[in-house]
Amino acid sequence: MINILPGIDSTSAALNAERIRMDVVSENIANVNTTRGLDGKPYQREQVVFESVLQAQQNSDALGSAPQTVQIARIEKDQRPPIMVYNPSHPDANAQGMVAMPDISIPEEMVDMIAASRAFEANLAVVKDARAMAMETLSIGKH
Amino acid sequence: MIDALFSQPNYLAAKKMLDCTVLRHEAIASNLANVETPNYKRLDVAPSFETQLQQAITTGDPQQIASTQPELAVDTQATSGRADGNTVLLETEMMKLNQNMVEHTLETQLVSGALQKLRTAITGQI
Repeated sequence: MINILPGIDSTSAALNAERIRMDVVSENIANVNTTRGLDGKPYQREQVVFESVLQAQQNSDALGSAPQTVQIARIEKDQRPPIMVYNPSHPDANAQGMVAMPDISIPEEMVDMIAASRAFEANLAVVKDARAMAMETLSIGKH
Repeated sequence: MIDALFSQPNYLAAKKMLDCTVLRHEAIASNLANVETPNYKRLDVAPSFETQLQQAITTGDPQQIASTQPELAVDTQATSGRADGNTVLLETEMMKLNQNMVEHTLETQLVSGALQKLRTAITGQI
């Protein structure tokens, strides 16, 4: 198939991946105080792992020199232990009155969110320019 | 005979450079897509294309110009200042994206101009 917009496959995959990353960040922030998840344990922070995928190319057999798209390889649980907070009146407090709270730092999540949104914007700029280039190419030979 | 209309070295070279900018745009799209991928190495148009095209233009042989072909390659010059081994720098990449865009505009105008001159020569009207 003819690809009129150059690089659009990489870009759309990246926009998708960045959006998933943003979803994971928002999930982390939403669960900052969750002491009892589905498994009965405090919520564990999650993070995404990106990996590049070689784009199918008809006339290029040289590995590594074809355009690459990106995808989320997996969403990993952060293994850091929960923070113990003294709060004896909490329903999830243990015998010593300590509650296990998820170790999520809001500033850390915000930084991750800003990085994701900047990467998203950079990819949008690529689409914008790809479109402008295609329109220019289509106008070759016109007066 | 009609082939000769479209085989001026300048016109062919502008066409090749246009191919090159489209390919470079794909490379930049790939680089920006993988800006957060660990161990990703940035791609660019292989520097050998530029030297090949320059040589072909100096000979002025249309066949030789037409036979040059831009290719993507891993940019070995790019160094990584990052802990994850990725060699993409967002700002540099955005600069290259803009630069490439301007080059594309220039080259479409060169191609258009070449065709326009032919049309003027054929019809005698501007």
